Amino acid sequence: MSAKQTVAQAPGIRQTMSDLHIWTGLLAGWILYAMFLTGTVSYFKDEISRYMRPELPVAQALPDAGRTAEQVAAAILAQTPGTPQLGITLPTPRNPTASAFWRDPQAKGRGFGSGVFDPATGARLDARETRGGDFFYAFHFNFHYMPVIWGRWLAGLCAMFMLVAIVSGVITHKKIFTDFFTFRWGKGQRSWLDAHAALSVLGLPFHFMITWSGLITLMVLYMPWGLQSLAPPARQAVTSEMRFFVPPGKPAGEAAPLLPLAGFVQQAQARWGPDGAGTVQVNHAGDANARVLVARQQAQRVSTTPQYLLFDGVSGALLKTKDTSGPAATTQGVLYGLHLGRFADIATRWLYFLVSLAGTAMVGTGLVLWTVKRRARLPDPDKPYFGFRVAERLNIAAIAGLSVAMTAFFWGNRLLPMEMAQRANWEIHLFFIAWGLALAWALLRRPKRAWVELLWLAAALLALTPVLNALTTSRPLWRSLAQGDWVYAGLELTLLALAAVHAALALRTARHQPRARPVRKGGASQPPVPALPAEPVGEGA
Amino acid sequence: MTAAHMVVFLLCAAGFAALALAMDRHQQDVLGRALPPRATQLLRGAGWALLLAALWQAVGAKGWALGLVAYSGHASAAAGLVFVALLAWNRWRGQ
Amino acid sequence: MTGAAALFAKARSVGPLVSRIVAAVCGGYALAALFSVAALALPGPLPEAAMTGMVASFLVYAGAVVWVFAVRSATRAWAGLAVAALVLLPLALWVRHGGAA
Repeated sequence: MSAKQTVAQAPGIRQTMSDLHIWTGLLAGWILYAMFLTGTVSYFKDEISRYMRPELPVAQALPDAGRTAEQVAAAILAQTPGTPQLGITLPTPRNPTASAFWRDPQAKGRGFGSGVFDPATGARLDARETRGGDFFYAFHFNFHYMPVIWGRWLAGLCAMFMLVAIVSGVITHKKIFTDFFTFRWGKGQRSWLDAHAALSVLGLPFHFMITWSGLITLMVLYMPWGLQSLAPPARQAVTSEMRFFVPPGKPAGEAAPLLPLAGFVQQAQARWGPDGAGTVQVNHAGDANARVLVARQQAQRVSTTPQYLLFDGVSGALLKTKDTSGPAATTQGVLYGLHLGRFADIATRWLYFLVSLAGTAMVGTGLVLWTVKRRARLPDPDKPYFGFRVAERLNIAAIAGLSVAMTAFFWGNRLLPMEMAQRANWEIHLFFIAWGLALAWALLRRPKRAWVELLWLAAALLALTPVLNALTTSRPLWRSLAQGDWVYAGLELTLLALAAVHAALALRTARHQPRARPVRKGGASQPPVPALPAEPVGEGA
Repeated sequence: MTAAHMVVFLLCAAGFAALALAMDRHQQDVLGRALPPRATQLLRGAGWALLLAALWQAVGAKGWALGLVAYSGHASAAAGLVFVALLAWNRWRGQ
Repeated sequence: MTGAAALFAKARSVGPLVSRIVAAVCGGYALAALFSVAALALPGPLPEAAMTGMVASFLVYAGAVVWVFAVRSATRAWAGLAVAALVLLPLALWVRHGGAA
């Protein structure tokens, strides 16, 4: 090739960035969609968990935090007297039960026991065994059926693809300001492109933040090299800024009574306000070296850098106050905090949910755009090339199939027998079984039919979930509304709204007629195209 | 507290509406004609001013950290609302 | 063309792309990792520098990937990564040999 020819053919930066954006978006898109949707619902994971444990009473006013700590600790110590470490998460308005973990050498697994407790009495609460909203949260970055580390590497890889997609997307979107509010309805590929661009640009601060901060939450896994160059004390100084964890230390071996926990909690409340105490940790209760740590309520601040008071459990002396962090640690803490959104009040939390849902739709519209754009260029629409067929079917399973699967999770929660062994795990198996069946449906049916049928199925399941709830529990929607139980009512109303969205999508997809294919110009190797019939046939019907 | 949120959202929505109307394409869509340059400049200035007012309100009500986060969310949601409103307007007018 | 010549031609057309992908995925990560070590040379407490290095490393990675595909040839892509690595390498080596501790 002559040099002139090569230069003339060299693509511009917008074209290369567009190609990069399309490839990174497509390859990671199916997994990213799942990460985005499960992440989106995780902003209400506490509410979902409460919905999935209908035996737990409607939230009452919270009792005194100090008393709660004492009662729960007493319950744990009665059962596991010598436990070297126990941690109690105090109830909050969003999560009105106390949860706790404790080290228990007898316990199967990794030697930890855990439970949920009534904050007023300290009694163990017996609700149906379920992972609740925490399943979606854990799936979001660990996935399932694989070692946690693999899941996190996969999530990190997809997150890097997403970060590159964001940067390349911004570079390639040359009319990012003039097209800010543009939408061309009913123009096929252009409409999908406008939708994808709008969802991306309007939520751009969130999308960039959520991707970068997501990588940061696991940065010790992804980029350990700097830490490895540090001596262990400096290394611990870094990791201790990222999570609240103080190791149990060594017991003295001689018995000494533990001071009442309420006193310690009160000191924390004096410092951080009446809602200021978040968790209470007791190391070596009953030993002379007992320590009590009261950590600050996470919901009070954006940054997640730990703040806590460390007391001598026997003498009550305040040994250490951790309430400052350096600027780099605080930056990391703020970014991590922004990702989790634990500080968000109800309005901010709904904004998080909506913008995150827009991000989910951004990924979904991008995936659909890929097939819409290429379908128009298929030489023979009845015989698309292999890559196209794969993408088309995976889109159906990843998008419509996931809605079906997530709703099936709720259905399993209401329908599986209470006393079933491994009940929590079976709820999760049901999620994946439903997803797998949706994938099979997507492979067996014609694409358009599969889309419509799965979208209608999702709409039906979502709309019927409140009905199922009314039939299987004593907390139907009308009672929740009458009682002002906004967790239950809000969740069910949201399910109904989502059902409507799925129904609308199903209707629109069913009504969609692909535009008449224009006569090809100059295709010498192709036979002349006959006059098109009035009804378009064949394409994905 | 919710009142503060509503104010921030409404200021953002007004700001984005003004910025949208400061663009030729949307002037044609909504008003049927392009506005004179003075009016366009005024709209653009008003749009940015309203967005800044929303930021000031958000930070005033919730402090810098929580305020910036709430502002960012309201800005995205309000821009989305203006977007959908323009879309609905154009559809209703049969474009 | 003969089978071998056809294969060779295919390799030549796809080679630069594969080279860029390797540069982006592996070279980009290596550069980001190098950055996270070199960051320890920043002034101030070591734990702070380590944080900065990790937090910023992902932006370095993304930037490197965009660079690799933005430049005109695969050779330029590798050259750019190499230049950046050469700048960071002395700092990283200094850190590794106890310079910052």
